[in-house]
Amino acid sequence: MSDNKTPDINRRKFLSGVSAAAAGTAALATPRVSLEAAQSKAPRWVMVMDLRRCIGCRACTVACKSENNVSLGRFRAVIQEKTMGSFPNTKKAFLPLMCNHCEGNEKDGVPPCVKACPEFPGKRAKFKTADGKTIRYRTGATYKRPDGMILIDKEKCIGCGKCIDACPYGVRSFDPFVKAGGDPSKQAADKCDLCAHRVDNGVEPSCVNTCQGRARIFGDLNDPNSEVSKLVKAHNLAKADNVLLADEGTNPHVFYIDPDNILKSLYTKRKKGKLDHFVDQIP
Amino acid sequence: MKKLNRRDFMKLTAGSGCALAAGLGSSQSAFAGSLKLQAGGKDFSPATGKERQAIPTACWQCVTRDSMIGYVEDGRLVKLEGHPDSIRTLGKLCAKGQAGINQVYFPDRILHPMKRVGKRGEHKWKRVSWDEALDLIVSKLKPLRDAGTPELFMYQYGRHKASQAATMYDFMQAYGTGTIGNHTSVCEAAKWVGQESLWGGMYDNWDYDNTDYVVIFGSNQFETHTNHIPTSQRLIRAKVDRGVPLYVFDVRLTNTAAKADQWVPIKVGHDGLVMLAMCNVIMNEKLYRKDHFKFMRVTADYKASVADKITAVTNNVAKYTPEFAEKHSGVPADTIRNIARGFAKAKSACLVTYRGTVMHYHGADQERAAMLLSAITNNLDRPGGRVMGVGAGWKSPSSPRAKVHKTLHVKDGFPGEAAYPTHHVSHQVLPLIKDGHAGRPKVYWWSCYNPGFINGDNKELQAIMQDESIIPFLISTTIVYDESSQYADLILPDVTYLERWDWEDMVSANQIAEFYIRQPLVKPLGESRCQGDVWPELAKRMGFELAYSSKEDFVRQSCEMTPGVREAGGFEYMKKHGVWHDPDAKPNYGFYETKVDISGDGVILDDKTGVYWNWKKAGVDSQAQAKSQGYLNTKGAKKAYIAQNIDGTAYLAYPPNTKFVKAGYLDFYSDNFANKGLPAFPTYTPIPEHQKMADDELNLTTYKVAVHTHSRTAHCKWLTEIKHDNPGWINTKTAAARGIKNGDKIKVYNDMGEITTTAYVTEGIIPGVIAISHHLGRKHSGVYGSGQTSPTSGGAAADPDVKNIWWKKHGTHPNTIIPNASDPISGTQRWMDTVVRVAKV
Amino acid sequence: MGTDWNIVAVNAKSRSDIYAMLALVFRQEPSEALIEELRGPRLSGAFSEIGLELGDSFYNESVSTIADQLALEFSRLFIGPGPHISAHESIFTEVDGDTGGLWGAKTVAVKKFIETTGLDYASGFTGLPDHISVELEFMQKLTLWEADKWRQRDRMGAEYCLSIQRMFLQQHIQGWVPKFCNAVIAEAEFPFYRELAELTKFFLGLEEQSLATETAA
Repeated sequence: MSDNKTPDINRRKFLSGVSAAAAGTAALATPRVSLEAAQSKAPRWVMVMDLRRCIGCRACTVACKSENNVSLGRFRAVIQEKTMGSFPNTKKAFLPLMCNHCEGNEKDGVPPCVKACPEFPGKRAKFKTADGKTIRYRTGATYKRPDGMILIDKEKCIGCGKCIDACPYGVRSFDPFVKAGGDPSKQAADKCDLCAHRVDNGVEPSCVNTCQGRARIFGDLNDPNSEVSKLVKAHNLAKADNVLLADEGTNPHVFYIDPDNILKSLYTKRKKGKLDHFVDQIP
Repeated sequence: MKKLNRRDFMKLTAGSGCALAAGLGSSQSAFAGSLKLQAGGKDFSPATGKERQAIPTACWQCVTRDSMIGYVEDGRLVKLEGHPDSIRTLGKLCAKGQAGINQVYFPDRILHPMKRVGKRGEHKWKRVSWDEALDLIVSKLKPLRDAGTPELFMYQYGRHKASQAATMYDFMQAYGTGTIGNHTSVCEAAKWVGQESLWGGMYDNWDYDNTDYVVIFGSNQFETHTNHIPTSQRLIRAKVDRGVPLYVFDVRLTNTAAKADQWVPIKVGHDGLVMLAMCNVIMNEKLYRKDHFKFMRVTADYKASVADKITAVTNNVAKYTPEFAEKHSGVPADTIRNIARGFAKAKSACLVTYRGTVMHYHGADQERAAMLLSAITNNLDRPGGRVMGVGAGWKSPSSPRAKVHKTLHVKDGFPGEAAYPTHHVSHQVLPLIKDGHAGRPKVYWWSCYNPGFINGDNKELQAIMQDESIIPFLISTTIVYDESSQYADLILPDVTYLERWDWEDMVSANQIAEFYIRQPLVKPLGESRCQGDVWPELAKRMGFELAYSSKEDFVRQSCEMTPGVREAGGFEYMKKHGVWHDPDAKPNYGFYETKVDISGDGVILDDKTGVYWNWKKAGVDSQAQAKSQGYLNTKGAKKAYIAQNIDGTAYLAYPPNTKFVKAGYLDFYSDNFANKGLPAFPTYTPIPEHQKMADDELNLTTYKVAVHTHSRTAHCKWLTEIKHDNPGWINTKTAAARGIKNGDKIKVYNDMGEITTTAYVTEGIIPGVIAISHHLGRKHSGVYGSGQTSPTSGGAAADPDVKNIWWKKHGTHPNTIIPNASDPISGTQRWMDTVVRVAKV
Repeated sequence: MGTDWNIVAVNAKSRSDIYAMLALVFRQEPSEALIEELRGPRLSGAFSEIGLELGDSFYNESVSTIADQLALEFSRLFIGPGPHISAHESIFTEVDGDTGGLWGAKTVAVKKFIETTGLDYASGFTGLPDHISVELEFMQKLTLWEADKWRQRDRMGAEYCLSIQRMFLQQHIQGWVPKFCNAVIAEAEFPFYRELAELTKFFLGLEEQSLATETAA
């Protein structure tokens, strides 16, 4: 594994990866998956959501709350559900949503949230690949790491909320409990970080770990042998129909296996300035 | 107080401090040891390194009881995840399981024994020590025991399983009371009674890993289920990976129905009828399989040939044509035909039922119809079919039984209420006590149970609890103040499941038993104490000893006694690994085909039934007498059952290992039922209340969602955030007829009373029904559960996350307008039979 | 510069005694002995001089009546069941989004702080590590140790101890105890806990001031 660490790593509980070394656990097979990074270049972490397998059970929603101590009133991961058609031929579908960890448009490779961040581009940082090669990149309060994760450095965040407005998916919110390091009179922005603290320790994200339908598949797209690479290939997921809001040019890296066209029939784009759709509630 | 300066304060201590500190303080110090401060100028810095542990344990949010790993950091539980080595759960955990942390640390948790000081329900309490609490309990229980009336102590539990139940029953045996109530009648009793009348004391499981076709009636596998995580992940995998067809009959478009090939809407209470119509199609189109008929009894005749039986079944279901079923159930005849054909032709098929099917008038008989459909297609206890659940068989220590052992007959409903209440009639316990004809306990102690909330007619049950003249002393063991403990005389602080020991035994989804344990992840908070630790202490104070000194000791002894676990390394192995299964075990199928040796001493063949039984074991004086009175007329004969003679072969078949006296056949023709005037063969019996409904009346049904248990999760903030309101699901047409639009405030009412909620107008429910989930509408259960803001600012209200509570609604509780009414066969609470009117407010 | 070692030692000891008394008050329901002590000649005068009004009935009713009354008040205010003022730091504070629970991150921080000084929690102690009475008793222990150092003319030791007191007061006590006291003042039915909460708040405020400005008290 690389020694890459998220800046606010000490805020988190990185569990399984570390616990293997802790007392009394040697015998336990930790819920570790093979997250072998591709050699020489950085991995490209992605999520594949197999909508055929999502049963709307909300284990991911709560696992995320627990793993990341997400305060009440906001979510990093939600399920949208919608009932469609008319009785008795009624259908209901589920759509798990999270940060898309966008690659950004083809021109500059910078996603809109990063572009909106006044603290980007900030200091240079180094990313070490599995074989020890160094990749330099620019940090910010919101920035893209070479392995594709869009991360927030709450110490640098000034709480301006521009990234929140810029995200077309509405996945960002202010964390009522964490002050923006760059302006302590404001609250820091927050969103899904793919459980970077776990992934950096070789453990799959919490939502993936608990997904009983195995609807969430996480892995490295730069590794042609990874399950996600195979799925992207087999289901031709790189095409526009299999990501959210392809028109936005954000180049999302959460791919949906969606034979029933759930994305089209279910997903509603956020209204400008509104975040309230990113709340999980069972009717 | 005056504005004070430092000098003023010094006055306080002039000459008095010593007395205070020395005379009063030292004995109650929180600390041991002494300060060892470095005297140098070195910076003081508290340790910041984190010590993490991963500890295998087991969930308890619901009865599924998944194995899991708890991650503990500096003595604080920080995360729960599924146990990757469990063959049951395959490392997965549901939303409720993930929120288990909320159970330990929620701010309104009860941490001390509390004694009531005001009137019942006045909410005035005084903390007492455990010593005082135990002495008080002994002062009530010991005189009852000494006077030879131990039965006047009644204990009732909601969720006690495995060693939690075993330690309790052990104590009660040693104390002498059999007046022990449960909660199964509000849960699923009809399902078990229906099955027991056929194949004995079994718990059905569905072999999704091997099945080729699945039909579900009234069971919401993907959101909530008695064995949710092990089964539902296998079902969705079967569906997606192997393309297994899935059909779901339900009143409501549940998540399970949503993922099915087809949601088949069905009118309330008609599941059995549709199953019988499927049997009709299968028999008429000769799609049945003969294999299982030889193990079935379908007429009064014990010796009928398979051909006769086929004719009899065909005749018995002849009236249930798909057209007849369509007329009553609303399911199109062609749909019934298609699914029946698919089910019968599939190599193997699972028929799944749960509360939607059985919590009705004659619910037990509906379950019998499900068994019939499975049997005629040879899908009983076969790979890929409806199989017999396999759980861990633990051995455990037992204490000497009390000399006087008696039971107060308040557990099985009013006289004549239920023919076979083999799982008791728990919702009628309090009404029966009030009635008084069967006697009244002097002490009523409930644990992990909330009778005033989870049964029907909440108002009446709470009034009974409040009335001191009915039961003089009430004890509640609980972690949270709730609708029932508010009337207790003594509240004991329970541990959460994450702070206690247990061995566990929930059934596997793959037909191989898994042995697993629960161990404390953290020390019990405050003064909370496990019931399994209270029993030995209470026994000692009453002058008798139990076979174990603590719950941990009980679990330790059990691990050393249980074959397999013992050889694997016993208690130490289980502490380290959490789970164990026999690596050489083969999946358990088809034990009915086991051929039995009948050469034993005293084994005779009963001419009438074809049962081989051991007259000596049955306690009969002579073989001649045994022969003359016969197997069925001998009390205790079912215990001496050996085998069933089928065409000259002695098969183990389906032994009568429950309260039902029967031969070794699947009793689709049941003398037991016939003798009590109940349908001898699975029959469609309309629900009486539904036959006389006025045009404007609706059926009320209740249900669970994925993020709550019935009554024990409302204080879990992560769950209540997702589900805190329970609007009434109502079909668009039904709503329109009442001028109701989506989101309108509505009242739901009948003779019992009225509740208000909002309308969720949807195409996802059959017309003529209103469906309301049954978790919410809490009066207590902490700030997250009830939303009652504190009359004292502080406590939970000081919780920084409380100000982030963004929801204003806290739901309603449908059980307040549902009467306590029993299925006359099983005594099950008829949750789904209630009739209401709905109007816009 | 001459130090009157005795005066600074007595001073520290006096503060220790106040912490001891307050720790006792919030630890559990007052025993009859404590009530007798509080309304006895040694304290009643001092109370009235500083304007601490515990009410006539506190002094006139029988000690058992007062003990009963205050036991109920204690349960209602601090224990529940039902809404109450949970006397734990972790309930009143938030760390890293971890909020509103018993045994939170703050609880661990308090426990580690205390254990770093060499103290352990007594095996028979069933409260939580961040209960208000624990934090006050910890200050009692520290101030007592400080008094010893002054008596031994160990200035460095005493001042080191003062720095630890300051740290604990700032990092823990003052972050939540004033809020806790305000809740008690607002909700108490009898003067007893209301007045003692006032006293606690004032005392801690003075402590904070003096520890911030002086090295030697």
